[in-house]
Amino acid sequence: MNIQALLSQFGEKYLLALLTTYKLTASAFILALILGTVITIMRVSPVKPLRVVADFYVQIFRNIPGSALLIILVYALPYLNVILSYYAAVLIATTLIPAAFCSEYLMSGMNTIGTGQIEAARSLGMTFLQSIKNVVIPQAVRSSVLPMTNLLVATMLTSALASQVPLNPTDLTGIVSYINTHAVGGVTAFLISAILYCGTAVIIGQVGNQIDRKVRILR
Amino acid sequence: MAQEQNKTERSEQTPVIELRHVDKHYGSLHVLKDVNLSVQKGEVVVIIGPSGSGKSTLCRTINRMETIDAGEILIDGEHLPEEGKKLAQLRSEVGMVFQSFNLFAHKTILDNVTIGPREVLHTPKKEAQEEALRLLKRVGVDTQAHKVPAQLSGGQQQRVAIARTLAMHPKAILFDEPTSALDPEMIGEVLDVITELAKEGMTMVIVTHEMNFARRVADRIIFVDHGVILEENTPEAFFTQPKTQRARDFLNTLKGRDK
Ligand SMILES: Nc1ncnc2c1ncn2[C@@H]1O[C@H](COP(=O)(O)OP(=O)(O)O)[C@@H](O)[C@H]1O
Ligand SMILES: [Mg+2]
Repeated sequence: MNIQALLSQFGEKYLLALLTTYKLTASAFILALILGTVITIMRVSPVKPLRVVADFYVQIFRNIPGSALLIILVYALPYLNVILSYYAAVLIATTLIPAAFCSEYLMSGMNTIGTGQIEAARSLGMTFLQSIKNVVIPQAVRSSVLPMTNLLVATMLTSALASQVPLNPTDLTGIVSYINTHAVGGVTAFLISAILYCGTAVIIGQVGNQIDRKVRILR
Repeated sequence: MAQEQNKTERSEQTPVIELRHVDKHYGSLHVLKDVNLSVQKGEVVVIIGPSGSGKSTLCRTINRMETIDAGEILIDGEHLPEEGKKLAQLRSEVGMVFQSFNLFAHKTILDNVTIGPREVLHTPKKEAQEEALRLLKRVGVDTQAHKVPAQLSGGQQQRVAIARTLAMHPKAILFDEPTSALDPEMIGEVLDVITELAKEGMTMVIVTHEMNFARRVADRIIFVDHGVILEENTPEAFFTQPKTQRARDFLNTLKGRDK
């Protein structure tokens, strides 16, 4: 089938798939930012057990393959009487892994902040959390816009894990198998998804650059 | 009336800052050796000594930026809290100005000055801003209020850092070589601000290598070498007839270097 034929037959399904991918990506990215920030605060906190746990988290989730994590969530958790919906399992897998990378980016963003500024904050009487909130996080975030842009793209690609479980509507990768079991889409079915992924990534990159230019900290 | 008198009497007796038998090590390095020092309200104490003698460390133990191994530190007669909220509270009462300014790079000059009062003292925004502008005017950088630190010269940044500290209404201010990172032509403008504070009766501990300034502003000079307070003297006596040979040698090397 050529692109036109595919689109006229499955156009609506592609649209739904794109929306599913966007929804998964956006939710997972926001959750990953929150979790990544918490992990990062733990990693720099004065409390050693928190640091150990958070470092361990990053080591694990930076290195675990997404599909392995998904298998654990879907097939192993029920043994612990935790039964997740397929959507929830995909969302969690797509959150836990990027959260580890988010923390890595924030840590390197923090390293650009001199200890002097942190000392200045503490000398004004700010508590550890106040100095994190007012000085460390805002600067770490502003200097990690570009890595975070990449993280958003990576999160979108990780959300393709959704194709490994039955979802309705399915995501941009899942739809390729769907089409190929209902018609002969061949590589063209995949091409359409690839174009949608790439187009989105390009837009994300552009927006990221714009934001970076606006918030970049003069030094 | 009687109460008033009691109060002044007490504040004359109770030093704002007091160190008793303070010892500190960095690993095997004994940086502070049995340091005793007391600073009265309104007094300006200047710490002088060779590089690596422990001046910064001494300064930084006073608001517990550095912990100590033995001895006691009292602020207004109260022991320095170990950590947590109480320590934070104490730090808000003792200002600190650093060699490298350490302004918050992502905040405007105005926000650099308001952030302390807003976050720590919970001053309403408008009030904090008005006071910040007053302070910025006082140190001569009010026209730069909406720029960010990187757009200011070093001298301007250091004056902002002083305004940021003043905004907390500290009982005392610690200066650790406030002009050592500055180009020579900017040193004067910063020292002028500090001199002005001294005239207004601010209690200050100042580490500096600017000898003329030290002589002019100090009520007392402390000479430190190898972590020991070797000499405590009036500026006149210290600069004309230092009691120790080491202080004499130190002053001579400075003279040789200056001109
Ligand atoms: N964090 C640190 N860890 C180990 N040694 C340090 C540390 N800070 C300072 N020192 C050492 O302590 C001594 C005193 O340092 P410092 O107080 O900075 O001296 P000064 O300010 O008089 O130049 C120096 O020998 C210095 O190398
Ligand atoms: Mg020093």
